[in-house]
Amino acid sequence: MEVMLTVEGLEKSFKDKKALKNISFDVRKGEIMAILGPNGAGKSTTIRNIMGIMYPDEGSITFHNHKGKGIPRNKIGYLPEERGLYKNVKVMDILLYLADLKDYPLHRAKERVLEYLKKFDLEGKENVSVEELSKGMGQKVQFIGAIIHEPELLILDEPFSGLDPVSQEIFKQEIRDLANNGTAILLSSHQMNLVEEMCDRLFMIQHGQKVIYGTLNDVKAEYANFKCTIHGDNQIRDMEGIPRVQRVEQESEHSILYLDKDVEPINWLKSLPNHLDVQELKINRTSLHEIFIDIATNKNLVQEEGESHA
Amino acid sequence: MRNSLKVAKWELKRNLKNKTFVIGLFLTPVIIIGFMIFGTLFGDSDESHEEELTHVFVNDQLGVFPQLQETIKQVGFNWELQETNLEQSEVEKKLEDREHTAYIFVQEQVLEQGNIPVYTSDEINPFFMNQVQVLESPLQAMQMAQLGFSEEEMAIVSQRFNFEDVRAESTPSTEESEAADEASSEDLLERIVPGAFAGFIMLSIVFTGMAIFQSASQEKKDKIAEIILSSLTPGELMQGKIFGYFILGLIQSVVSIAIVLPVLLWRIDVPVLEYLLVPDVILLVMIAILGYLLFAAVFVGVGATMADMTTAGNFQGMVMMLPFLPFIFISPVLSDPNGLMAQIGTYIPFTSPGVLLLRLSMLEEWPWVEIFISLAILVVSIWVFMKMAGKIFKVGILMYGKNATPKEIWRWLRA
Repeated sequence: MEVMLTVEGLEKSFKDKKALKNISFDVRKGEIMAILGPNGAGKSTTIRNIMGIMYPDEGSITFHNHKGKGIPRNKIGYLPEERGLYKNVKVMDILLYLADLKDYPLHRAKERVLEYLKKFDLEGKENVSVEELSKGMGQKVQFIGAIIHEPELLILDEPFSGLDPVSQEIFKQEIRDLANNGTAILLSSHQMNLVEEMCDRLFMIQHGQKVIYGTLNDVKAEYANFKCTIHGDNQIRDMEGIPRVQRVEQESEHSILYLDKDVEPINWLKSLPNHLDVQELKINRTSLHEIFIDIATNKNLVQEEGESHA
Repeated sequence: MRNSLKVAKWELKRNLKNKTFVIGLFLTPVIIIGFMIFGTLFGDSDESHEEELTHVFVNDQLGVFPQLQETIKQVGFNWELQETNLEQSEVEKKLEDREHTAYIFVQEQVLEQGNIPVYTSDEINPFFMNQVQVLESPLQAMQMAQLGFSEEEMAIVSQRFNFEDVRAESTPSTEESEAADEASSEDLLERIVPGAFAGFIMLSIVFTGMAIFQSASQEKKDKIAEIILSSLTPGELMQGKIFGYFILGLIQSVVSIAIVLPVLLWRIDVPVLEYLLVPDVILLVMIAILGYLLFAAVFVGVGATMADMTTAGNFQGMVMMLPFLPFIFISPVLSDPNGLMAQIGTYIPFTSPGVLLLRLSMLEEWPWVEIFISLAILVVSIWVFMKMAGKIFKVGILMYGKNATPKEIWRWLRA
């Protein structure tokens, strides 16, 4: 896949505090690349440096489809974390202004605005003043503003924050569609469940440093051990006795068994004792969410793994 | 530059579609006219004083009373002419408790000396002494008729009679000095009109420009700055705002002038247009525009440091007052347009546009050297302030939710 954006050795300090330390990754055409991390990890700072809103102390940012210096602003769509719209203007006016700033032909922009308003369930709102929109509607309009000019690279900083589940689904679908149509997408989030379902690759950041970087599957294979969830009336002692079980969490009839890293699921299942009461059983990897929580709360396991792979 | 124009266009469109702005646009000139009419209302009440009946008593020893009466009737003064036999010595006492009363003594010696004593009460139409001059012609006519002069002789004899206000405190005014006064006041008007015009343009664009303040902080309040800055540089955004509000200011000026000027032409008897269409206006308007640019740079920079208008700190509030700084210099400049204060005001960037406009309106001879030095200072300051505003704007516009302290601003400036 064609690489659209390369970030290499990014360093940034605020006063004496180092906000970014040696951040390197790339974003490819047609993929969704996610920057994940807890609040204050440096996600927005990284993105702001890419957008030229801040300047890095060290390191380089390369836009590969762009000759000449500077940022190809017209080819990038950007939805910042802190976002809003002018209040006392009409939806259509502000969107056309944003398109105009990107040098996008206005008649095309007009068509796209109407098309997207319809898609986002905002049909007929084009002449409504921005201040009359609900927060969710405003978010949708901002999103349309970021993609109105058909960007080659779309950068979304916390696109799902403050959205209701229905809108989240719409956004997810739209972002997926854009990627499938060849847009390179870089998004940041702390909502793991959403990202887990849609991203191709991820870059996990903590305290301004890389923790994990790779494709979702690689990351899961690398860091996410299997866990087995069993519904049934069982004694916790019995389960702790099962080989290759690290720990057990039990809540009435619901038990989660965390397994060793290199467990073969089939073989492990064969080793289950016969007297176990199994109403339901499922086996899957620990979620990105759990990995993330581990990192955010500085649980040693993943941190060590991360560093040994860094 | 193209991006700046887009921003300017947007600011224009946004404001012109905004009801508040449009109402303000038309309300401003209406208020100006309102004040003018308000002013003349007071003027009118003065006039009605003037129109009060003036009792004029004539001690006529020459028998010209009917002719005088005829003349007054023709001119249409609101006088009540009466004959009297009062002696000059008794007049003062008689006038003491009277208002709008005058005594004129037309006696034998008038024909020889040409001086006619006029006694007036304390309160009298201020133009009475001018009005009374119309009585000259009937007297002259009578004098000539009496003497049976030939035309040549008449020409010789047509020397003027001088009505002398004998009251001690009043200064005698001759027609000549009055004419001179009139000429000089016309001269002054000729200079003041372009100056006032430029001053008006400056005030109106500077005041409109104060909206830049709000516009810059609004950008932060609405949290749209970062979205906009993904499409253009902070410098372009800043320039666009300055230019956009400049055009808005011009629109305000044009609308105001279009509404006020006809009223002005109708109400006052000064050939305003004739005075306006002179080359001087170009320089004056240029000074006004430079003044705008300077304040715009300051406003846009400081506006970017504020979270929103309502939380403006002391520092920001002080900056808002800058355009009013020239008012300090108004009275010293008026009393001595070439004095020390006037010169100091000329060289301080924030006051120089205002003070220059004021001085150039007052002075007959323009101090070109001072003008050039002052313009040079102004241009350099604009450049410096634009640079500084650019630095502040770049950081400030992205700082959401709090006002920048002067210390922080200082750090940005040094960055």
